[in-house]
Amino acid sequence: MSESKDKAKIKEAVKRRKRETYTPVKPDLQLGFVHNNVDCIGCRACEIACKDKNGLAAGPRFRRVQYIEGGRYPDVFAYKVNMSCNHCESPACLPTCPTGAIFKRKQDGIVDIDSTLCIGCRRCEAACPFGAPQFDPSDSIVKKCNMCVDEIEAGRKPYCVMACMMRVLDIGPIDKIWAGELETVAVGPNDQISRQVKNMSDIELTKPSIGFVAHSKGKVK
Amino acid sequence: MSIKKMKDNLYERLNLSRRSFLKTTAAGSAVVAAGGLIELKTAKEAKAFAYEPYPKDDELQTVVTSCAHNCGSRHMLVAHKWKDVIVRLSTDDGRYQRGGHFGKDTNEEPQLRACLRGRSYRQRLYSAERLLYPMMRVGERGEGKFKRISWDEALDFVAKKMVYLKDTYGPTALVDQSYAGASYGVLHKSDQIEGLLGRFLGMFGCRTSSWSVPSYQGTTFSSRMTFGTIEDGNEDDAFAHSKLIIMWGWNPAYTFHGGNTFMYMRMAKQRGCKFVLIDPQYTDSASAYDAWWIPIRPNTDAAMMAGMAHHIFTNNLHDQSFIDRFCQGMDAGTMPQWAQGKENFKDYILGKYDGEPKTPEWAAKICGVAAKDIIKLADMYAKTKPAALKASWAPGRNAYGEQYNRMAAALQAMTGNIGILGGCAEGVGKAWHAEAVAYPYDQYSNIWFQAIKSDRWAHCVLNYPNVKREEIGLWQREDETDGQIPNIKGIFWQGSDWFNQLTNINKEIEAINKLELVVCMDSTITPSGLYADILLPIATHFERHDTALPWYKGHYYIHRPKVIEPMGESKTDLQVFTELAYRIGGDVFGQAYNPKANRDYFHVNDNVDEAYLREWWETKVIPHQHVDMSWDEFKQRGVYKFTFDQPHVAFRDQIENGARFQTPSGKIEILASQLAQITDWKKTMYGYEIPYIPKWIEPWESLNSPKTKKHPFHLISPHPRWRTHSIFNNCSWLRETYEQEVTINASDAKKLGIKTGDTVEVWNDRGKCVVPAYVTERCMPGVAVLHEGVWIELDENGVDRAGNPDMLTLDEPSPAGAFAYNTVLCNIKKTDLEHRPGWDKLATSRAHVFRRDL
Repeated sequence: MSESKDKAKIKEAVKRRKRETYTPVKPDLQLGFVHNNVDCIGCRACEIACKDKNGLAAGPRFRRVQYIEGGRYPDVFAYKVNMSCNHCESPACLPTCPTGAIFKRKQDGIVDIDSTLCIGCRRCEAACPFGAPQFDPSDSIVKKCNMCVDEIEAGRKPYCVMACMMRVLDIGPIDKIWAGELETVAVGPNDQISRQVKNMSDIELTKPSIGFVAHSKGKVK
Repeated sequence: MSIKKMKDNLYERLNLSRRSFLKTTAAGSAVVAAGGLIELKTAKEAKAFAYEPYPKDDELQTVVTSCAHNCGSRHMLVAHKWKDVIVRLSTDDGRYQRGGHFGKDTNEEPQLRACLRGRSYRQRLYSAERLLYPMMRVGERGEGKFKRISWDEALDFVAKKMVYLKDTYGPTALVDQSYAGASYGVLHKSDQIEGLLGRFLGMFGCRTSSWSVPSYQGTTFSSRMTFGTIEDGNEDDAFAHSKLIIMWGWNPAYTFHGGNTFMYMRMAKQRGCKFVLIDPQYTDSASAYDAWWIPIRPNTDAAMMAGMAHHIFTNNLHDQSFIDRFCQGMDAGTMPQWAQGKENFKDYILGKYDGEPKTPEWAAKICGVAAKDIIKLADMYAKTKPAALKASWAPGRNAYGEQYNRMAAALQAMTGNIGILGGCAEGVGKAWHAEAVAYPYDQYSNIWFQAIKSDRWAHCVLNYPNVKREEIGLWQREDETDGQIPNIKGIFWQGSDWFNQLTNINKEIEAINKLELVVCMDSTITPSGLYADILLPIATHFERHDTALPWYKGHYYIHRPKVIEPMGESKTDLQVFTELAYRIGGDVFGQAYNPKANRDYFHVNDNVDEAYLREWWETKVIPHQHVDMSWDEFKQRGVYKFTFDQPHVAFRDQIENGARFQTPSGKIEILASQLAQITDWKKTMYGYEIPYIPKWIEPWESLNSPKTKKHPFHLISPHPRWRTHSIFNNCSWLRETYEQEVTINASDAKKLGIKTGDTVEVWNDRGKCVVPAYVTERCMPGVAVLHEGVWIELDENGVDRAGNPDMLTLDEPSPAGAFAYNTVLCNIKKTDLEHRPGWDKLATSRAHVFRRDL
């Protein structure tokens, strides 16, 4: 968005990037999302809240609720897989960035893009297996979910989570989410957490920080 | 101005350049989040956000307000504003209520989280279609050519024309088509009965009222006849206590019926409640609640219910003691003395009168549901206690739709599921009648000189004076004007896009050209507005002072302050009517219409509005509703939430304590006393006979009728999720998430050679529209689904390129007044005509539907 890029700053960032490319930041705490694929009604209030929060026009969508359906009439099924940025353990976007604009925060593992450094080359967009980075033509840079860091720093939760009418989307320390230890109404009393569901890329690619309550037809293996 | 300069100015104005972030210490220090979820020791690193300028919530001014439309619920919106601009909206997070804190979300006082439509309000508020100045038509009606005029010119024009029409054509010349587009404020209200327009035209002495409600007239009729009230609803939290919930044509995942209904239903599921969906579509509600889906032919619901009743009666599964105590006319034993010789419901079901027992096998032939499934469902419903049969409105928007709702009430009663926690008597489903009116609601309110069924205005205009009273559902009057056909020469739209929303749009187009005055009061230039002579810009609910009520479920009040100043030259409806009253009738009319104001009100309205609202709160809300919060505290907090010892259940008092139902007999009237005593149906507003017990009546169009030879598909037009009727159709955020499209079954599509994304024509003898197809296994074969409310976009041949189903609907309501929106046969074929959604094609939603198993 900035009109002229500070070359010295870019140099410094590229150095940092070289340091970090092969040794991704090990955060003190990794935050991640949890979503209930079954109980989600697919209303997309989270998507709209996100767009409003981030002032996005039609086009870039930080959060995307995917509708999955299958079966044959009348034995059909449907469920939703809801993803934004998964703030991965080894983000595929980060090493692709030529200016070092992408960084992973030490304190909570959130992956963000420094818009003063982004030159809009869209390499990260191509690299991400989950489609998180979104090119915004109005600013000619790539933007993505930063888990509303401003809200988190103010002691609150991201807009998408606070928008969920069904209370099936939440955030928390990802270890707790995967262990089923997070206290959250997003996960029901009899629900199990899956790290991988159908209709998402292989989690071994980047180790995304997300857990799901999978639909019976959406379970892997 | 260069882009750079513009940006710099914006940075400066918002004081939010990157540098200022660096300098400023964060407004809120890291707090331990509610519930102890996240504990963060943040270093307050000076990192830019992904986008600048980026005002944080805590650097903006926070104002609690709410949504305002006729959508199904009423949720909190929190405006975060910079000076006079709303930068973003959030919703209830538990902080604002008394005793609240961030994250508070209890079952007793749940958060009132806004849906996707509410969250997109900023796009409506600041849209390109926003009406900012009074406009006068300079082209043909519908052509969309207007010129800007002053308020003075506009109001003078309207006032003079109104007087002329009344003097020339009499007191029925103006038809009131105020509707709920801006309803559920208590002060600024558009409504058929309680609206500001009704009182204004009534006092003026020229008003033809529109009495039937498009969404749920069949249901309203049924609830009134059966229970004597439309307040037959439980509060949303009662759904958490059901063991079985039958969603009959009900899709809360789309309609968000009631503040948190869908969330409490999830709670029920977690407690082991079973769900059933009877619907031509496998909806998102079915998938979220893992429901047993029973696809049914549209408009045959009453037949299936009759089949269920037959099974329940013949297997003795009914609750005879409940019937004996609380029902009239359910069986021979509950017939009142005066009705001896009349039919009772049980004997009708058993076929005693017509020799046709309404067996599950009989029903199966009509509704397309296998008899064994009808039996299984009847068994489940009769044996699971408590069970909620939620009879939604959509199947009632049909030919004889009232019979479906009446039949549902009979099932609810015969199984004893009324007045108990976890049961359901809905119907209309209104749970609580809050104090709804803060402006003077007095002897001048709802005065009308004739009242017609709302979707018959075009028929009346086109055929005047050769119209029979039963054709237009003329309401009976006690004076010599009874039965006089209204001579309609003008329309007022207040908070209403009815031209786009009523049935048979082609007939409306023909009729509107016969009118001499068409006034549209709205904040947006709607398709209706394009047919108006005068457009009056109305302030949105962000730009005027009011209070929000729950739409029909939920117990709370939300304060709605003037968040920003009215944009452009917008005025409130009350300002417009007050000023018109002064112009037409001087001080006498002006002061009678708005007693707290003088003529300055058109320019300065804050103090008067405050006085009305304060009086309403202090003289009605506090004493009648036992609210223990002062007006000033309410204004400061922004919300008042009631708490109860137990969930509110309709008719609990009747069942537990023997209180009378509000019917003439004091009982649940399966045999409706009022209907049984009507002799001359033509002199009623219904016009045609309605059976006094619920009966199956063959609709004039359905998949069972011979008309399917020509038009083999049954078209239904449910409420969309991404619009409130036609409101929000112009919001790109919402248009991006969904697309106007016709849903058809995969096997049908195969026969027609149609694939998802193909553009198709949907047509019948009444009209035609063009729309993309969505091919799925989730829809019953033979059924086409096209959501209502899209803004018409007519080409030179009168074909709607946007895909509005009301090009095809019939303007012939059911006797009880139900709009027959879902009683439509049509045909479908691939087309070369272009679909024109009105804006750039934005929807990417289908890119996100996966069928990986195919």
